[in-house]
Amino acid sequence: MYQRETTIRNESGLHARPASEFVQCAGQFQSEIYISQVGSQTQANAKSIIMLLTLALSKGTAVRIAASGPDEREAVDQLVALIDSGFSE
Amino acid sequence: MKRYRGIGASQGIAVGPVHLYCPGKVETGRIFVGQTAKGQLARYEEIKAAAREELTRLQAQCAQSAPEQANIFAAHCDLLADVVMGQEITQLVHSGQAMLDQAIEQIYNKYAAMMDSVGDPMFQERARDIEDVRDRLLRLCAGQTDGGMGLEGPCILAARDLLPSDTAALDRDKILAIVTEVGGQTSHSAIIARSYGIPALLGVGPFLSELHEGQTVAVDACEGELLADGQEEQWAQYRQRAQAFALRAEQTAAYLERPAITQDGVRVSVTLNIADPRDEELALAPYVDGVGLFRTEFLFLGRAELPDEEEQTGVYRKVLSAFGDKPVILRTLDIGGDKQADCLKLPKEDNPFLGKRALRLCFDRPDVFRTQLRAALRASTAGNLWLMLPMVGSMDDIRRAKTFLRQVQEELDGEGTPYSHDVKLGIMVEIPSIALLAEQAAEEVDFASIGSNDLCQYLMAADRLNGEVSAYYQSMNPALFRLIGMVVDAFSRRGKPVSLCGELGGDPQAAVVLAGLGLRKLSMGGDAVPRIKERLCGIRMDQAQAAARQVCRLDTASAVEAYLRHTFSPNGQ
Repeated sequence: MYQRETTIRNESGLHARPASEFVQCAGQFQSEIYISQVGSQTQANAKSIIMLLTLALSKGTAVRIAASGPDEREAVDQLVALIDSGFSE
Repeated sequence: MKRYRGIGASQGIAVGPVHLYCPGKVETGRIFVGQTAKGQLARYEEIKAAAREELTRLQAQCAQSAPEQANIFAAHCDLLADVVMGQEITQLVHSGQAMLDQAIEQIYNKYAAMMDSVGDPMFQERARDIEDVRDRLLRLCAGQTDGGMGLEGPCILAARDLLPSDTAALDRDKILAIVTEVGGQTSHSAIIARSYGIPALLGVGPFLSELHEGQTVAVDACEGELLADGQEEQWAQYRQRAQAFALRAEQTAAYLERPAITQDGVRVSVTLNIADPRDEELALAPYVDGVGLFRTEFLFLGRAELPDEEEQTGVYRKVLSAFGDKPVILRTLDIGGDKQADCLKLPKEDNPFLGKRALRLCFDRPDVFRTQLRAALRASTAGNLWLMLPMVGSMDDIRRAKTFLRQVQEELDGEGTPYSHDVKLGIMVEIPSIALLAEQAAEEVDFASIGSNDLCQYLMAADRLNGEVSAYYQSMNPALFRLIGMVVDAFSRRGKPVSLCGELGGDPQAAVVLAGLGLRKLSMGGDAVPRIKERLCGIRMDQAQAAARQVCRLDTASAVEAYLRHTFSPNGQ
């Protein structure tokens, strides 16, 4: 398993379009990918828009992305980069 | 002629042929009888592909005409591709616990219910989207293609309810009006109808089975009526009324750009009530005299983490700069009562409207209050900020809040952080105790705004959200007008501005009385601005003052309503 932490920096958080982009990006990888708020036990399947929305991740929230599978490193790095890009907001 | 009553959710009148839109409800549990799990799962993939094709087509259709609506279809594509729901459905079919259609229904319903249970409007919208996609999949299971609405010419669209995808794809040039069996003022159909300016009558109850396709009907959303089985002369009358309404609506709309000046030359400021500021609202800035109520709760709702100082400063700046020199009254956090925020982890109260709400909560959570005050002050350099405290019940509340503000100002001074030193501090008058002490309060603060919704509920002891006591929540009761008059006098005598920012301010009849009581600033939602300006431009101040005196002498709300209707109804209607 490979994991990294980052902080959500775009205004609207992981809702609406950014959430959609995030899930679509996660869906390109074979690995199992989970996202959670740092310090929280609740984690969500990063390929599921519904599970992601229920985490209600807003701007300023520290998140952990963890993946396990053949492309785990690439998956986590790309998703972290996407969050860090601020979803061009 | 047959009459059905409903809720006029978007004003207007229309006559024309009815189109009955009845997308069949698919009965689950019969379609896949005798089919193997493997066969059903292969079918599931085909159905998802077909659904995606439909959604992509709808999205492309909308992209030009209604780009915001097009997003709904993109969101539906995401739901369709949701892996968790997909896996659970596959699992149910694979293990033989359910057939494909049953599995889709069960899993989609489960997640829709989960979204509903959050109790946040944003999540409730997602629940409706999930149900919408569920129905699309079930229809495809049954082998029915998307017939669309089958609209040919202009018609009155009648349905049990409209799904988000129905309204998003709505061809607004072909729809004269919308009538539904379910729904109300805040339902999705109502919001879309208002934004398109299409008359809508909702919550009519069962009527579809009593009409036939293409028959002439009339919808009078102003009177809340659907009419069927009429004679040609009757339809002619409704056509005339529809034209007259359209003409009146056009005349009223023209008032948006004018200032509200009575016929004898008294100017009344008209300001906006806003929350999460939408671009259309900010675009009204040139036509109004500022913001009379900027609700800040939206920053705190539907999220797990508190908004930080930077985020708040950014949002406040955006609103302040949009209005330039015009005052923006920013109300500090009013959470509690009917509004709950997950990020504050509030305990459940038996009587939340009388509980630890708004300012009381801020005193208890100095971190939250200070952050908001700091953000507001930092944003103050972008415009003309007036800070307003909600739920003030006593002079102690005012003095305590002032201490907070002073501390925050000293903190900013110490850091050398810039802020405007002209920020005014005022109170919302919504608890009767502070209304009765208005003279003392006016000495202590720079301005007041009367929150008529809560003032009415606390004065009449009637929960404004409890339908059982709505008859006791009387916003036209003379007692409320008397109390408002006292507050206005106390502040005006001391040269302190006083305004009103409840529903009452957007009601043309009440606006006359409020102007007569001495209010020179009324705040309301953007849609009410033209009609209030039109009304104020059409009266003389001495008439308004006479009306205010008369209203305060009357003894019941119904007497007040009858008097105002008789004296000020437009065009003698």
